[in-house]
Amino acid sequence: MSATAKTPILSHEEEYRQHLMLDPRPRGEMNAMVMESMQTTSWKFWVVTGFLALVVLVSLVGIWGYMIAEGLGLAGITRPSYWGIFIVNTVFWIGISHAGTFISAILRVLKAEFRRPFTRAAELMTTFGLAQAGLSIFMHMGRVWLAYWMFPYPNQRDLWPNFHSPLMWDFLAINTYLLASTMYLYLPLIPDVTMARDRSTGWRKVFYRILALGFRGTEGEWIHLRTAMGIFALAIIPVMFSVHTIVAWDFAVAMRPGWSSTIFGPYFVVGALHSGIAAVAMVLVIIRSTMKHMTYFIRPEHFDAIGKLMLVVSMTWAYFFFNDYMVQWYGGDKFTRILLEFHEKGPLGWIWFLMLIFNVAIPWLTLWNKRVRSTPWAMFIIGLLINIGMWFERYIIIPISLTINRMPFTWGEYKPGAEIPLSIGTLAFFILLYMIASRLVPLVPVWEVQEGQHAHSLRRVGKAVAPTVSELE
Amino acid sequence: MTERSMLLALFDDVDPAADAIEKLRTMGIGDEQMTVISGIPVLEKFLGRPSVWTNVPRLALGGAVVGFLAGMFFAYGTPTMYPLNVGGQGLFAGPPAIVVIFELTMLGLLASTFLGVFLDSYFPSYQPKEYVTEVSDGKIAVLFSCPVEMESGISKAMTALGAEAVKPAEAQQL
Amino acid sequence: MEEIKQKWGMVIDQDICTGCQACVAACAMENNISFVGEKSAAYRRGMHWIRVERFWEGQFPEISTGFQPVMCQQCGYAPCEPVCPVYATVHSDVEQVNLQVYNRCIGTRYCANNCPYQVRTFNWFDYERPEPLSNHLNPDVTVRRRGLIEKCTFCIQRIYQYEDVAKSEGREVMDGEVVPACAQACPADAIVFGRLDDPESRVSQLARNERSTQLLGDLGTQPKVIYLKGGSGHVRNG
Repeated sequence: MSATAKTPILSHEEEYRQHLMLDPRPRGEMNAMVMESMQTTSWKFWVVTGFLALVVLVSLVGIWGYMIAEGLGLAGITRPSYWGIFIVNTVFWIGISHAGTFISAILRVLKAEFRRPFTRAAELMTTFGLAQAGLSIFMHMGRVWLAYWMFPYPNQRDLWPNFHSPLMWDFLAINTYLLASTMYLYLPLIPDVTMARDRSTGWRKVFYRILALGFRGTEGEWIHLRTAMGIFALAIIPVMFSVHTIVAWDFAVAMRPGWSSTIFGPYFVVGALHSGIAAVAMVLVIIRSTMKHMTYFIRPEHFDAIGKLMLVVSMTWAYFFFNDYMVQWYGGDKFTRILLEFHEKGPLGWIWFLMLIFNVAIPWLTLWNKRVRSTPWAMFIIGLLINIGMWFERYIIIPISLTINRMPFTWGEYKPGAEIPLSIGTLAFFILLYMIASRLVPLVPVWEVQEGQHAHSLRRVGKAVAPTVSELE
Repeated sequence: MTERSMLLALFDDVDPAADAIEKLRTMGIGDEQMTVISGIPVLEKFLGRPSVWTNVPRLALGGAVVGFLAGMFFAYGTPTMYPLNVGGQGLFAGPPAIVVIFELTMLGLLASTFLGVFLDSYFPSYQPKEYVTEVSDGKIAVLFSCPVEMESGISKAMTALGAEAVKPAEAQQL
Repeated sequence: MEEIKQKWGMVIDQDICTGCQACVAACAMENNISFVGEKSAAYRRGMHWIRVERFWEGQFPEISTGFQPVMCQQCGYAPCEPVCPVYATVHSDVEQVNLQVYNRCIGTRYCANNCPYQVRTFNWFDYERPEPLSNHLNPDVTVRRRGLIEKCTFCIQRIYQYEDVAKSEGREVMDGEVVPACAQACPADAIVFGRLDDPESRVSQLARNERSTQLLGDLGTQPKVIYLKGGSGHVRNG
């Protein structure tokens, strides 16, 4: 056979078959793959889990417990930076949590079919990320045992919280978002735990039976579920935007140089997407490389698509950053200009430069290339650097910007103390929760994958084939 | 009253299932006597089935109204009950009220949507129900009741249209 | 221009202030302020409700020092008030000062960040008062525990005390009767306290001085402390 005997039509088709939506397998087979990936656990998993549990115990129970008993003095916060790494972590974890909603809501509304295999993995990040954000907020409170006073409950002294305060807006917004995204995680999960229920025995079957609520897949059940998911997908998008905007307003409504920036609202939302989508890429790389059969569901095409998103969001972030910077540099008052100089040329100026390199330079230099985008380990590194860059960004905005205020006699540098082991504790807890979830929750929404595969086909058009998507929803 | 039996016909794809449903209707089985159970949602129009009423949107709207009222209470009611002046802003501040009302309206909307699913589908319900596990493997099951004497005739018709199996439907513990 | 509500206010003459910090010591004694130790104080965790800022002006050898005592300005438009989620710092409509409610504070420290004068301090630990140091505690003022914010109150315990005395005697509080600890201790008489809403009070007359200014006045916080500066070694009564 000569080299030219291979017709162009076939190789195109082969290329298309690389895509998950155009490479269907029988649902039963996919179900078995997902169940097996959930139940096949190597000894290495237990070693890592045990280590993480130990870190969480020492850090979040031991050190945090000690800090509650002794006082916040164990942390490095002091005048003038009364907010430090705890708030940086809070903003960081809320940012990570936005990725889940972006992928499961915005991409669903935009009918981006590549989202199908990893919506649940992203939504789990949202729930677990918000848990860490909540912990970080509690860590930063001076009298955390009275935190319930922020909850508006009727009492005989008629005390109510202060809704003028951005922290109360935070309370409402973050709780709304936490509840909404947990509900939005659970609704599409019901058909998958039904499948897991049908394929389990023993304690797993009891667990999934309870979670499945008696779901069968009748027309009525599907209509109610799909209507609800449609409402959720649309409604949770403004909630998502409002949450990080409100977090941004914690800073923007304050009377501090560098903080009174009107662009903080959208700037923070874009920053959240930046770190969140990068974190999703990291999580998907780990899932794909450590869990059985995931190479079928999560393919280079998904990293390619996520990489394009990361590039666009990085450009958007750079736009908002420059907007904020330019306006302060040009027309800012004396203290704002001193602050900008402190950012770049102060003792922690290297953080500012690394932030720009990790958030802007590296994505712009690498993510335009399809080969780089489709390489999982490269995406992991780029995602990790972006997340470090975004953590630096929040570090600059919070403790470093708080160093400069309008009373120069009070200026002083912030040096973290107990914040460091406690931050490591939240990271360990996040990974631990995720690892436990990977054993209990089917990570891939198989019914959504099958739904998508049913809608996709290869259609012959003239001399070639083209992928077609039917509107079966 | 003739005795009726519950049968379940299992199909692999939408087309044979739709044909089967039409065939059942010509054989005298009414739409209310049929239920379709599937592993992925199939729109009623593709199966030729009447659309199902869902209360979820109306419940969602009701929940949004409740949330709105709760937001109004927090923003305007609580300062009336516990008046404290802060920052020269006045007792009732507009922009904070907008934020509070928005968040609680959305919470009301989403929580009631979620609860609406539970209410409309009668979740959770752990009673024995007619079901086959092949459904979660992607099959489409048509569950219907027919007079006992028509059983074999219908079974043959279903099999002729491509049913993988036609069996009596027993309520089993899911 | 809107009418500014005011009652109690203070005038501080920076040209007379010698920077001796007697006001700092007196405030600490009057208000049961904790001692944090040398290391914490160096890390800016000192609990003082009033601080004396020191500025160098000019080039060597013509250097002069300026001293600026800074305490809570009891702003009319206080940035610290609306941001507290639990109403732990609110405005007193009667006394026109900013109140800090220790029992209600949950320690979010938003108020401390938002204060442009940076006058709020936070209890980082339960600081000890080994015997017999605890004997100095003023029974009129709460002892604060860890995790909450505190700040200058214009010695509101003294304001209430003398208002009670005046009420029981059936008269108004006289000008000069209420003297906060810092004003009482100042050897140079640089701090004067009284009713800003009484145009004849000593503090109102001094506030009308041509040297009067406010800290960060352009922020619109409406502080109740007026600073007199601009003269050089200007003697007030001469």
